[in-house]
Amino acid sequence: MSTAVNPNPKKPSVIVSHLRLLAAYFRFNLAAAMEYRGSFLLQVFGMALNNSAFIIFWAIVYSRINHIGEYGFREVMFIWALASAAFGFAHIIFGNIRQVSRIIMQGELDAYLLQPKDVCLNVLCSRTEVSAWGDLAYGLILFMAVWGFAPGEFLLFCTFTVFSGLLMGCIMFSGEILTFFLGNTTVISRLVTEFVISFTLYPESVFRGTVKWLIYSLIPAGFIVFVPLKIFKLFSWQALGLLILIDLGYVFGSYLLFRLGLRRYESGNLIVGKL
Amino acid sequence: MAFEKRPGDRNGEIFMPIIEVAGLTKQFRTKVKETGLKGSFRSLIMPEYLTVKAVENIGFQVEQGEILAFMGPNGAGKSTTIKMLTGILYPTAGKIQVLGLNPTRNRRQLAFRIGTVFGQKSQLWFHLPPQDSFRLLAGIYEIPDREFRMRVDYLVDLFDIWDLMRIPVRKLSLGQRVRCEIAASLLHKPEVIFLDEPTIGLDIVVKQKIRDLILLMNREERTTIFLTSHDVGDIEQLCRRAIIINHGAVVLNESVKNLKYNYLNYKIIAVKYSRPVSIQIPGIVKLKEKEYETAAISGESMEYAAKIAVDTKKQNLQHVVNQLMGLGEVLDITISDQPLEEIITAIYTAAPEMNANVTES
Ligand SMILES: Nc1ncnc2c1ncn2[C@@H]1O[C@H](COP(=O)(O)OP(=O)(O)O)[C@@H](O)[C@H]1O
Ligand SMILES: [Mg+2]
Repeated sequence: MSTAVNPNPKKPSVIVSHLRLLAAYFRFNLAAAMEYRGSFLLQVFGMALNNSAFIIFWAIVYSRINHIGEYGFREVMFIWALASAAFGFAHIIFGNIRQVSRIIMQGELDAYLLQPKDVCLNVLCSRTEVSAWGDLAYGLILFMAVWGFAPGEFLLFCTFTVFSGLLMGCIMFSGEILTFFLGNTTVISRLVTEFVISFTLYPESVFRGTVKWLIYSLIPAGFIVFVPLKIFKLFSWQALGLLILIDLGYVFGSYLLFRLGLRRYESGNLIVGKL
Repeated sequence: MAFEKRPGDRNGEIFMPIIEVAGLTKQFRTKVKETGLKGSFRSLIMPEYLTVKAVENIGFQVEQGEILAFMGPNGAGKSTTIKMLTGILYPTAGKIQVLGLNPTRNRRQLAFRIGTVFGQKSQLWFHLPPQDSFRLLAGIYEIPDREFRMRVDYLVDLFDIWDLMRIPVRKLSLGQRVRCEIAASLLHKPEVIFLDEPTIGLDIVVKQKIRDLILLMNREERTTIFLTSHDVGDIEQLCRRAIIINHGAVVLNESVKNLKYNYLNYKIIAVKYSRPVSIQIPGIVKLKEKEYETAAISGESMEYAAKIAVDTKKQNLQHVVNQLMGLGEVLDITISDQPLEEIITAIYTAAPEMNANVTES
């Protein structure tokens, strides 16, 4: 939607008003989470503990062999840290991301469509997932533990976290909004999420043939972790810029898919005729 | 542009259409699934679709400041129509303008200027108290802080919801929730309000309270109100004009005065006596009567119940009730309207040419 010209000078521009909304949701959800501080901390630490099992697994693997392809222990820890931080970031800002399919099916999109905000952002951001803070913190700490704390490198890692988070989020989102086109897609949506997560956890050389093609297209684990690792090890501004452009391309694509799907929204197509 | 703004003149009053609808149609395609595994498999490979015509070629206008009742039995297409007017659903065909805006193309602009309440679907955050929901809504509708506080004070007072503001919505009763929902929909001072069955499932006292509030809203701020209902009482008490739809098509679009005179003239009286009586009042229609035994404290006894229809065009209701009271000891008496389904049947039989029109489409 284009609303470049602002009819009412007192009202903030569309972008500012949307950012304000996101900030309001964010404050609100965080305050709500803090009200149950015990449960908040439990969820955050539970997630971190859960993730640690994975480190032990790789530590054992790498105590026997030195390299898998180009990946040593530190490289595997890098993609694991980035995947975790990106996943956390995506679920902090887009807390509703894995509810979208259900929201569409049960006709709950109505409430968002009645509000004067972009439906896509409004749905995605109106909730936050508390345990996602654990994933984010875990990813950042693991990165520093393995690669040390150099401000430049840390900043680069944070940049990757933001854009890989956006990319990861919009792939999961695309899996969810297939519901507009295919009806009940709970299984497919869950599968997409599983694929995205598990493809980002193994050294790139594990993937061959069709799957290799897949990780640079439909399930772009390549752009989420493998390319960032390459840029991290051999930095160039051009490569970083290109990566960000590709990430934004995916974001734009999923947004278009959503707008297209919205035309087919049935506001409660739970009703399935039975013969 | 299909519509022109043309102020008109009706009974000497200037009117301005605020909602204009023409040829509006909505079809749903639902997947038909046969039972069993084989059926599931077949529907996956070669899905069969069934087209449901929820709304078919509807046209009407609503004037500024009007309260319009959009009536029809369950499944008539009322909710579907409201969803298209508010930008939730894309129409299959037809034109809509609300406040001069196209609800699907200018959805966000329109949302600032309308309010919507669905009796069966909550728009408040379920786990939050209304007070917090209101605050979030103020952010969404970009209401400045001071204005917001004044508005909340005003609405909370008007709707008498002081004590409900801090209770999570999921813990409120239906009537309490509906009051909060309506108050929430008024926060941003909408020019038009859409209410989809706001009184459904409410008991009589609460229903009356909601109706009073709707009237008040209309009077205080000259808000245009588009109301759907399948409760005849809603039209009688609230509206000057009613549109009746059935099977997705408009059956009648008429002033409530005419409607009342022509079709709402029957009242149904259900009366119960402590012992059998014989009701012989000229001009009434006896629909049902029954004698039955009850186990009273003083042994077995017979009670008697009857249901009668009174044509208020020919009979004075008060007079009939008085006569009924005189027949014996009355245990219980209720007066109600004819169900909407029967009124629609009456409309069909009274206007055969219109009937033919509807079935042909
Ligand atoms: N999402 C949907 N998918 C399929 N059919 C629907 C859907 N929504 C409504 N319908 C059908 O459209 C018709 C009108 O429904 P609705 O507008 O909800 O009626 P009302 O609100 O008057 O009770 C009904 O036959 C209903 O089954
Ligand atoms: Mg309905």
